[in-house]
Amino acid sequence: MIPLTVRSYYSLMWGTCSPEKICAVAKQRGYAQLALTDTDNLYGLWPFLKSCERENITPIVGAELTDPVSEYRAVCLVENAQGYANLCRLITRRHSDKGFDLKSAVPDHARGLTVLTQNPELLSEWYEAGVTTAAAVPRRPNGTAFKLRKVCKHLGVRVVATPGSFFPDPDDLKVHRMLRAIDRNTSLSRLTPKHAAPSDAWLAPAWEYAERFAVWPDAIRAGREIAERLTFTGPCSGLVLPPWGNSQGQSPKHLLRDAAYKGARKRYGDDLSETVVDRMEHELRIIEKMGFSSYFLVVQDIVSRSPRICGRGSGAASLVAYSLGITNVCPIKYNLYFERFLNPGRSDPPDMDIDFAWDERDEIIDSVLKQYNGHAGLVCNHVAFQPRMAIREVAKVLGLTDPEIGRVTQRLPWFWREVHMNDDLLSQLKQLPKLGQFDFPEPWQQIIHTARHIIGIPRHLSVHPGGMVITPDPLYTYVPMEIAPKGVPIIQWEKDGAEHRGLVKIDLLGNRSLGVIRDAIANLKDNGTDFDEDHWEPEDDAATQATVAGGNTMGCFYIESPAMRLLQKKTKMGDFEHLVIHSSIIRPAANEFIREYIRRLHGGKWEPIHPLLADVLEETYGIMVYQEDVAKTAVALAGFSHADADGLRKIMSKKDKARKLGHYKERFIAGARERGVTHEQIHAVWDMMMSFSGYSFCKPHSASYARVSFQAAYLKTHYPARFMAAVISNQGGFYSTFAYVSEARRLGVEILPPDVNKSDIRWKGRAGAMRVGWLSVKGLSTSTRTRIVAQRKTKPYHDIMDFLERVQPHDPEARSLIHAGAFDLLHPKESRASLLWELACRQKSRSARSGSGDLFNVRRVVPKPSFPPENQTERLRHEFSALGFLCDRHPMVLYADTLKKQKIVKAGDLPRFIGRHVCIAGLLITGKVVHTKHGEPMEFLTFEDETGLVETTFFPKAYGRFCAILERNRPFILYGKVEEDFGAVTMTVERVDSLPNSNKWQTRL
Amino acid sequence: MRERSIIHINVADFAVAVERLVDSRLRGRPVIIAPGGAARAAVYDMSEESYQSGVRKGMTLGRALGRCRDAVVLPPRPARYERAMTRLVKHALPFSPLIEMTDHNGHLFVDATRTGRLFGPPPDVAWRIRKAVRTDMGFDPIWSVAPNKLIAKVATRMVKPAGEYVIGAGEEQDFLKPLPVHLIPGIEAEDLKRFGEFNLTRAGHVAHLSMEQLNIMFGSRSDSLYHAVRGIDSSPVLPVGQKPPVVVADHEFANDTNQVAVVQGALYGLAERVGADLRKPRLTAGRIKVLLDYSDGRRITRQAVAHPATANDVRLFVLAKRALERAWTRRVGIRHLRLICDRLTYPPAQMALFAEDEKENKMSDTLIFALDTIRRRFGFNAIRVGRTL
Repeated sequence: MIPLTVRSYYSLMWGTCSPEKICAVAKQRGYAQLALTDTDNLYGLWPFLKSCERENITPIVGAELTDPVSEYRAVCLVENAQGYANLCRLITRRHSDKGFDLKSAVPDHARGLTVLTQNPELLSEWYEAGVTTAAAVPRRPNGTAFKLRKVCKHLGVRVVATPGSFFPDPDDLKVHRMLRAIDRNTSLSRLTPKHAAPSDAWLAPAWEYAERFAVWPDAIRAGREIAERLTFTGPCSGLVLPPWGNSQGQSPKHLLRDAAYKGARKRYGDDLSETVVDRMEHELRIIEKMGFSSYFLVVQDIVSRSPRICGRGSGAASLVAYSLGITNVCPIKYNLYFERFLNPGRSDPPDMDIDFAWDERDEIIDSVLKQYNGHAGLVCNHVAFQPRMAIREVAKVLGLTDPEIGRVTQRLPWFWREVHMNDDLLSQLKQLPKLGQFDFPEPWQQIIHTARHIIGIPRHLSVHPGGMVITPDPLYTYVPMEIAPKGVPIIQWEKDGAEHRGLVKIDLLGNRSLGVIRDAIANLKDNGTDFDEDHWEPEDDAATQATVAGGNTMGCFYIESPAMRLLQKKTKMGDFEHLVIHSSIIRPAANEFIREYIRRLHGGKWEPIHPLLADVLEETYGIMVYQEDVAKTAVALAGFSHADADGLRKIMSKKDKARKLGHYKERFIAGARERGVTHEQIHAVWDMMMSFSGYSFCKPHSASYARVSFQAAYLKTHYPARFMAAVISNQGGFYSTFAYVSEARRLGVEILPPDVNKSDIRWKGRAGAMRVGWLSVKGLSTSTRTRIVAQRKTKPYHDIMDFLERVQPHDPEARSLIHAGAFDLLHPKESRASLLWELACRQKSRSARSGSGDLFNVRRVVPKPSFPPENQTERLRHEFSALGFLCDRHPMVLYADTLKKQKIVKAGDLPRFIGRHVCIAGLLITGKVVHTKHGEPMEFLTFEDETGLVETTFFPKAYGRFCAILERNRPFILYGKVEEDFGAVTMTVERVDSLPNSNKWQTRL
Repeated sequence: MRERSIIHINVADFAVAVERLVDSRLRGRPVIIAPGGAARAAVYDMSEESYQSGVRKGMTLGRALGRCRDAVVLPPRPARYERAMTRLVKHALPFSPLIEMTDHNGHLFVDATRTGRLFGPPPDVAWRIRKAVRTDMGFDPIWSVAPNKLIAKVATRMVKPAGEYVIGAGEEQDFLKPLPVHLIPGIEAEDLKRFGEFNLTRAGHVAHLSMEQLNIMFGSRSDSLYHAVRGIDSSPVLPVGQKPPVVVADHEFANDTNQVAVVQGALYGLAERVGADLRKPRLTAGRIKVLLDYSDGRRITRQAVAHPATANDVRLFVLAKRALERAWTRRVGIRHLRLICDRLTYPPAQMALFAEDEKENKMSDTLIFALDTIRRRFGFNAIRVGRTL
């Protein structure tokens, strides 16, 4: 018996187990050959092939195809490379052809495939059409199978026994049924037999099938015979590079050389130095040798579609890339090594990541897809059930209500992923402080237990944010493709799968800050300021360096988070080289090294861990900062080859690294010991290396980022109003609009309220002031925003009625505009109530218009009432709900009376209270939960009052007590001790109180 | 229109008051009524003490406990409140045929117009009802006498949690004038928000506006607002009405469920109960309704018509199942099932069209008769249908 139809969890929402587990089970049950036939896809091909290799099983590649209308099914098994290409083509057609018909599609692409089906009609049709086919009898012979066998006898086609399995063990039926209920949006007891697999759809041992098929031993034999023909064990590897179509017949090599030198002269001037020429020649030689010339040309072609990009990743170490305009940091000036990007010893495809302004990216991707129609596609992500989603879905199937489910799921940490879990999910949940008081009554125990089995199972595909592959032959001959819901073609593999096949990926990503810089400069130019971007060197500007060194970088790309700003404050370093180090060292796992780094930076004594490492880590004070430091250390300390060291570096950023890492660790220890490194030193170095796992940068990447950071910091330093306006307009920054508005106010920028005759859709700045843009007025539709601006271009609005007539906003939109103060300049003497009255009159007259025909009928008849005088607090409250901030003051000012009774220290005065216990009042702006060494959660929160920001620390005890009451944008009184560390002032909070009478605001805030 | 006297009796925080009657230790302590365990963790009612600490109806229990840490939390017990309400009404019954209770929440309107000659002035009547309630049940209800229901309700709101208020005819507008608009019943949250936008915070402010002006601001709502802020309310006190006869049975699931077998089992039990209730007075039901309450409080009713009318458990169940299938569209657990039979008639004499059906009907009737006989003798549980076990 050879298992010819086996499904993994890549048969989405049907299968329950990973290909890895299935291979392990198959091995255990004595199978030496195994097919993986997931439904309409090859999602699991690479994990399957890898596991087969590990388990020493011969893989059979295949997939089950379904007909979308008739629901006919067939399993296609690959005999050879042609069959594989045909299968990819069939699956692609299944997903992208609207009228896909299985019956007619299979014969068109049947060469190299063996097709199994249970359907007598398909069987005879395909047999007639010359398809290599056989009848599949899954699980056990039954009534239908007997009929099928008759047809087969008539045709002379073989009957094959197959496992038809959806899960490896009988126990998994429960998980399978739960998945089906989730998928069908129903409860377990309402699941019909048609919508779930039968209980015997597990992968039984061979002897069991022999027993079940004892009446038809030939069916088992037929399986073996078919399997013998299926010699295909996976697609070939080897790099597949994008093609460069050239009509003039010039080779890519020459074209690249010309383009690179042309670009270099633009960057460095006509007279190129010897260093540049030497480096250029060296790089061109390697690029050509490795066949990457066309790749560079394709990337340059893509990059040229936007005037502002940030090329990053290891590609930023290339002078050729710098000359071609793919990257923006001079690799010679900042000492970036080309070998990090390309070297002849490297077999895996290099990465080239390019950022575009976030709002330009989709257009660029579309244009590339159009240009390489059929040869280009985006990489996909296999989106798996994460703990929160799994718990929620299982609970829904069991009939719990949304609020009940929310009480548990909303308390799970936001980024709690599968990797953070262990097998005993329930006790782990109980340890979470926010769930400490929840005792998990039934059915929660059952929910958590079932959810544990569902976590990690893929649910659907999503589009990778920008990973593009371009191939010389049509892409569907390499990999099956689908059309994502948003209409773009995607391949069925994640980036790792694409890499296994050798498909070189170009990442085209969106970056908000490039939009910010673009808009700020455009704003400057609109204001008549001349700005020369070509010779802009923000890194060398002293004022900008001071901004960076002081950590006053809210709004600046990559260096605006509280952690980064504190690091800047502590280091007091604002030069480019140090910023490159800081952008890289700020990793979740590197806290203790950061402390040590700061100490050494400020002149603390240090020795290299081992003399062998002295040179390697010289520029980073003996501390590993960049990804490549891992590789360099492995070479220097443990004698790794460059290729091996690079392998180690790559493994660390992978998900399932534990097993391979163990192997590398042994080699590292052995290698280092040979070189006489002590046991303690080895472990100290290894620990430092492990702090890079998951998330780390290489130096060229950090340098590229630092360049954008510096551009942003420069604009913030010299043109704060334009810069902050651009930050808010591009949205999606680390902080809320509210926080950015406060920051702008602190920079001395006046916030001008929205005005129908002055505001644009985006915020606009001028010296010393910025005007609120329509995008910050809540409830305003995109079309109304556009209409306001378009109508104004013809002539300005002369009063509110004129505005309402010409713009025709909906009632809630107009009310929002009135509350936001958009008509205050047009009607300086009128209260907002009276403007609302005008609006109401107009609405009334509009609804009456159809009857009377006289537009101002109602207005004339009904006199305006005299409304009671406006209450300032009420007015501000309305303004806040329309804008999310106040234009002329900080909301904390409104609590002044309440706070007067308490001894409150203002944020700006904190440095005078170092070491003392004080009490401050502020709004919560942002926060980040981290874990202590012992796994206890704690939180860093940023609060704000009208004088400044306060960075606070909630240690586990305080966090556990107060985490439940802390809400964004709500005022609190905090008691705690003011601390200072290398000049950065923070507060360690011991107690939190809500501000009395803050409820009213709180509901609106 | 003649001058009216409406008495409003209100037991403040009714649910809490009822619980305090049962357990005197709760007196003086903050109490929150909210479903314990899993579902509907929204505050249903609370005591004055909890209200003072910031607890409000509809708030999540967690948040409520955050504000009032030492509160005792009790689950809502509607049956208990219903019983207390019936007892409360009993004390008002001697004074007027027109008594209105909208829900089981401690509010009672008694129309005492022109009953003076029989029982004395309305305030005396109100005082006597209050005294009777206090003696019998231990509550101390708030009461008011006013020319209409609206003013009567505002008056009790004014004196909550204890006291009384009498407003004479013609004093309505002056009484309302200085009061915040939110005290006036029938003004919804949307209206309040709109009033706020125009800085209209007191009833007097709004009463300054003419009908036309209000119409511009509130459209179709203006009429009721115009009257509300002036204390004009002509709605009659609706007496405890005569409803058409129905047979009802309820089932509350111990654990909310979405399992088909469990729900259908419970439904069969209900069909048996209504069947027995119908057969006792020899009636049949022409229509069956299924009312279903989900865990999250959503409620849905669907019905099925019986042709011919029946009192046979098996046929009732078939109909009930059909109605259930129409009603049960979600997968959220079901908390409560109610089966309602109406269009009650005496059994139809018409026989089934086909002899085969007639025979089956007869057999089924015989079976039910046998079951009834056994149950009469040995008790209901002496014999059971498998699916109800």
